[in-house]
Amino acid sequence: MQAEILAPIAPAQWSYDLAAHLLERAGFGGTPAEIRRLAAMTPEQAVSQLVDYERIGDNNLPDFEESGFWDPSLKNFPLSRPAATELGERSGEAMGIKVKPKGDRPLQPITNRFFYWLRATVLETHRLAGWWVDRMVRTGRPLEEKMTLFWHGHFATSEEKLRDYRKMIVQLDMLRRGATGNFADLLLAVAKDPAMLIFLDAGQNVKGAPNENFGREVMELFTMGVGNYTERDIREAARAFTGWGNDDLSFVVDAGKHDDGVKQFLGRTGKFDGDDIIGIILEQPQTANYIAAKLYRFFVREDMTEAFRARLGDLLRQNNYEIAPFLRTLFLSEDFYSEPSRGTHIKSPTELIVSTYRKLGVRELPGVPDLYTVSKTLGQVLLYPPTVAGWGEGKAWITPGLLFERANFAREVLFPNMIGFEDPNFDPGGEIRRVNRNILAGMEITAATLEDGASPSMVAGIREDFNTRYASLMGYSEALRRMKPVPRTAAQFSLADMLLDAGARTTTEAVDRMLAQFLLVPITAEARDALVAFLDEQLGTSDLAAARSYLEQPLRVAAHLIMSAPQYQLA
Amino acid sequence: MAKTPKLTGSEKEAMLQAGFGSLVLGGASGITTSPVWSKVAEAQAEANDRILVIVELSGGNDGLNTVVPYADDAYYNARPHLGIRDNKLLKLDDYFGFQRTMPGFERLYKDGMMGIVHGVGYDQPSFSHFSSMAFWQTGAPNGGEVYGWLGRLADAVDPLGHTSNFLVNIDDHQSLAVRAMNHVPLVFDNPNNFTLSAFHEEKQLVKAISAPAPGRSNATQDFLFDVAASAASSEQLVRDAWNSYQTPVNYGLARFGLDRVAALIAADFPTKVYYVPYRNNAFDTHVYQGDLHERLWAYTSDHITAFVRDMERLGRGDDVVVMVFSEFGRRVAENTSLGTDHGTAGPAFVIGKPVAGGQYGGIPSLTDLDDGNLKFTTDYRRIYSTLISGWMGHEHPSMILKDEFKPLPIFGRQLAA
Repeated sequence: MQAEILAPIAPAQWSYDLAAHLLERAGFGGTPAEIRRLAAMTPEQAVSQLVDYERIGDNNLPDFEESGFWDPSLKNFPLSRPAATELGERSGEAMGIKVKPKGDRPLQPITNRFFYWLRATVLETHRLAGWWVDRMVRTGRPLEEKMTLFWHGHFATSEEKLRDYRKMIVQLDMLRRGATGNFADLLLAVAKDPAMLIFLDAGQNVKGAPNENFGREVMELFTMGVGNYTERDIREAARAFTGWGNDDLSFVVDAGKHDDGVKQFLGRTGKFDGDDIIGIILEQPQTANYIAAKLYRFFVREDMTEAFRARLGDLLRQNNYEIAPFLRTLFLSEDFYSEPSRGTHIKSPTELIVSTYRKLGVRELPGVPDLYTVSKTLGQVLLYPPTVAGWGEGKAWITPGLLFERANFAREVLFPNMIGFEDPNFDPGGEIRRVNRNILAGMEITAATLEDGASPSMVAGIREDFNTRYASLMGYSEALRRMKPVPRTAAQFSLADMLLDAGARTTTEAVDRMLAQFLLVPITAEARDALVAFLDEQLGTSDLAAARSYLEQPLRVAAHLIMSAPQYQLA
Repeated sequence: MAKTPKLTGSEKEAMLQAGFGSLVLGGASGITTSPVWSKVAEAQAEANDRILVIVELSGGNDGLNTVVPYADDAYYNARPHLGIRDNKLLKLDDYFGFQRTMPGFERLYKDGMMGIVHGVGYDQPSFSHFSSMAFWQTGAPNGGEVYGWLGRLADAVDPLGHTSNFLVNIDDHQSLAVRAMNHVPLVFDNPNNFTLSAFHEEKQLVKAISAPAPGRSNATQDFLFDVAASAASSEQLVRDAWNSYQTPVNYGLARFGLDRVAALIAADFPTKVYYVPYRNNAFDTHVYQGDLHERLWAYTSDHITAFVRDMERLGRGDDVVVMVFSEFGRRVAENTSLGTDHGTAGPAFVIGKPVAGGQYGGIPSLTDLDDGNLKFTTDYRRIYSTLISGWMGHEHPSMILKDEFKPLPIFGRQLAA
């Protein structure tokens, strides 16, 4: 099987190892039983099983259950706390809350309300990310979620700026629906997606004062890459998108803000609007090359020759931007199974998390360890990409400390720390805790919210319209009272059952099977022998059946060691 | 214990030849067999001893109450309660003064070791901590960039990533600022926790499992094994450096990381760039900020000043420059909770013996405002450009910053010399 050959592999070459590679890349890996099922098919059938996923039911996948944080008074949520209180002062009401006609802190309820939503949407977005990762763990259509993950990184949008989890739900649904469809449709849908419109400042892009943010990113990051257009093209594109915006969760065009004049864009002249601009961008050969190469790097490997990059672009163009047939060719190709393509992909944190559970046969996301905490530590918090460029993939995931942390994550999966676990959702930080204690102890609000050690005299005579620290406490509390709980359960699985069912009888067989199950790249013979010796010592025998009643714990330690190997980071 | 002054390459060689090998190798000044201390790294480190330390003040520091424009009535008009009276300031000149808790900074300024850059910001500012910090960390405001500006600096200065541990980040997670294509930043917080958690019974096996298997390999695997090897040795080296580091210098009450930087510098780490955040959005002072902000600056000033003194003690004063920034300043007017809300421009500091002390950048007006916010006078990437070319000696900062930014004459002395 040769690199950079797109012709399909011969059925005779199909094997367990190739099936494992396919499931790892086109999905999130799986148990030996799942790999055997794919290996028993022809390559075409196996690839079709992953690519033509609409045939596979998804009724087993639960819908996201909203906590019910939102109500229509939160539409047009103020951009900042000052904006919220100023709105209250000006109009007597904000976010559905009226200013108190008299008495202390007349703007306090409005301020509480502001902080309530700030906290609620963050908590809900974390729940949404948890629901998504749970779906990745459960799904029988892993490519659907993997492509959604790809598009999330490609059309990176962060809730941080939106402050509205509902718009993330809408965007995520849109990306999933178009995951392996036509890129042209998806690009147009993204350009009209409320989350993206807000994220790239569509509201500020108006006739006479265009904001270039979307016009720039649509070419630099979403389609062509730098160097294939001019600054003038960006300005002209921005003009064509003027007036595009959203009314809450709907796309709207404000004709009064749209510049319907003549634009010159990428060598063409006309009264272009946003749809026209996207059409012209899709005609550029560079767009297909750029998207094809990015898909290739995500699924196959980092390096390719210029000639091969051009062929991948041709392939996507020949398929008229249809993603599914492009991926089918890729997943069947000699190149995909060639030496340079195998065991060379560094798992992203999300891939690491999901594949760890799936390889252990776990079919729902455990609540311990906490997903957000793990994601943050490992450097990929879903729905919060660091910038509009998404995440730097590959080597950028790894530092010495992160190698340790990845092994520490594996330990938390194998040995969930139920005793030491503290739910981070209920940790508002030291300051809110302190204010909470003071308020519960009966202190007056101003005194309760002073810095430790601050002199009360400094605030004497100040009359507060509102107190933001108290509002943080009130908002956080209210959000937590309404939040649907995140179950804090440990992963349920049995390594012992899995290995015994697979026919392992000795410690040597147990080690070899675990190595085959968790690693695509071998460890040294010495390390393998050391693992066998370790199990022998821990079990007091090399006979698994004899040690059946206390087998699980030592097996999990051995699994942790295997997952601590650098090889475990490779897919 | 004071550290022995660093040996030059020829001194080391002479000592090795004279039979003092164990002293030299054991003295943390170059264990050439370890991946962290490759010969190339040594050569590079010898070629240029300069070190850049970035201190990030997270949360949005209130610049107006840091470098206080006490001669401007508009300051007191906008801040009737929070404005700091001139008799409570450490005056720098007849216009500006520091908080009274910042004697260290005052000394550094008066000794000509501090450049204050006024009005630092960028066009179309974001008021979000996260976004604005990402803009600073990537050097790409309102844009998308997956690598940090310091990561790109490392990639530009040493494209092959030969200088191991070029980038060190003192934190519990990796900052976007040090994310690089060809460099692997060393990220740790507590040197004694920078380790793989293992049960007692498995500890012996952890090393064996991380060894590369012989046979076919590829670039990605080589990379991972290099990092794994470097992780194992870095873990030890960091701990050794930390545990053997003793200093008479008092690093103050909030030791947010420069003490650990000093330990690594004392142990002659080949690191060129250290990134040290003052964490947890500490400078986000919306409420009753007076005492709090004063205290934050006591800690910050004490810690940074101690570091500069410690470098002097180690004989590295001429080699180290510290740049201090925050993702944005606060609004000019105080709010009704005796705090300040998210704003735009603020001062940044460039500190160290090599710096031409003084003030740089236009002083922003306190009355000609943009919706209550300062109009920035100095694009922050001019500071980056200054540090990249004037200090790190890379001649094409525009390759890293993707545009031309005129350097400030902060390193004028070097350039003239």
